[in-house]
Amino acid sequence: MTYAATQTLTRWNGGVCPFGAGWRKVMMWWFIVTDGLLFAGFLAAYGYARLLAIHWPNQASVFSLRYIAAMTFVLITSSATMASAVQAAREGRPNVALRFIILTTMGGAVFLGMQAFEWRHLIAEGARLNANPWGEAAFGAYFFLLTGFHGTHVLTGVVVLTTTAIRSAMGWSNAEGVEMAGLYWHFVDLVWVFIFTLFYLL
Amino acid sequence: MKTYWITWAALLVFTVVMLSADSGSMPQTAFVVFMLAAMLTKASIIGANFMHLRTERLPLVVTVVVGLLVTGTILFVLIAPDALRIHHMVTTP
Repeated sequence: MTYAATQTLTRWNGGVCPFGAGWRKVMMWWFIVTDGLLFAGFLAAYGYARLLAIHWPNQASVFSLRYIAAMTFVLITSSATMASAVQAAREGRPNVALRFIILTTMGGAVFLGMQAFEWRHLIAEGARLNANPWGEAAFGAYFFLLTGFHGTHVLTGVVVLTTTAIRSAMGWSNAEGVEMAGLYWHFVDLVWVFIFTLFYLL
Repeated sequence: MKTYWITWAALLVFTVVMLSADSGSMPQTAFVVFMLAAMLTKASIIGANFMHLRTERLPLVVTVVVGLLVTGTILFVLIAPDALRIHHMVTTP
């Protein structure tokens, strides 16, 4: 090994396990980074359209911000129950973990129901992908694409959580499996923080 | 588990404060800066406490955070001047 390579390895100081984590966790983090960049690209495109728009609709007059805040409350609460599930699984309390996973799944389902209601309401008011009654055509497109893409992630999360709950109940899932499902769920919550601020509030 | 519920409460407080700021009469620049700062703080809280980045090994944390922040920032910074220029062209007679 060359001197430079030895120096690099010394600085890295990770030995054969530089991240100090199992392959599942590292792969899950890589997935989160790439998926996060997908959302970043999406939000950057939205920012572009927003800066270009001459009259972007006032969100407070289109959406009920209290309703959106309630959706945020549901998602944040489900993240807290998921973190509690991971902790319980790590402490070797599978029954407690299972209860928290079920609560998280219910939170995800409630969020999806609330989003479906919001979509239905806006569609009834005339919002479409290519047009809407509030003026700027891109507004409807970005609303449906951003919230729809995030909603698809929530739906995937609910499926993952349901699978994890069944596997936990059958004794097939260990603490690491619960932790991976948890990482994905927190990512979904994290993305909502950006959508909530950039799309609904700013 | 106590930490997670304290984190939950902090996130809720941030959300309520952001909603209050939205209905208030803050100057536009201050409002945008405040919202972006609050958004990044909330994201950091979720990453650190719920996703346990606080207790992960530094190379993993640096790779994830720098990877996301730097690439994300490049996307926004490169795209914004172009959009602003076109906006200026459209709005200036």
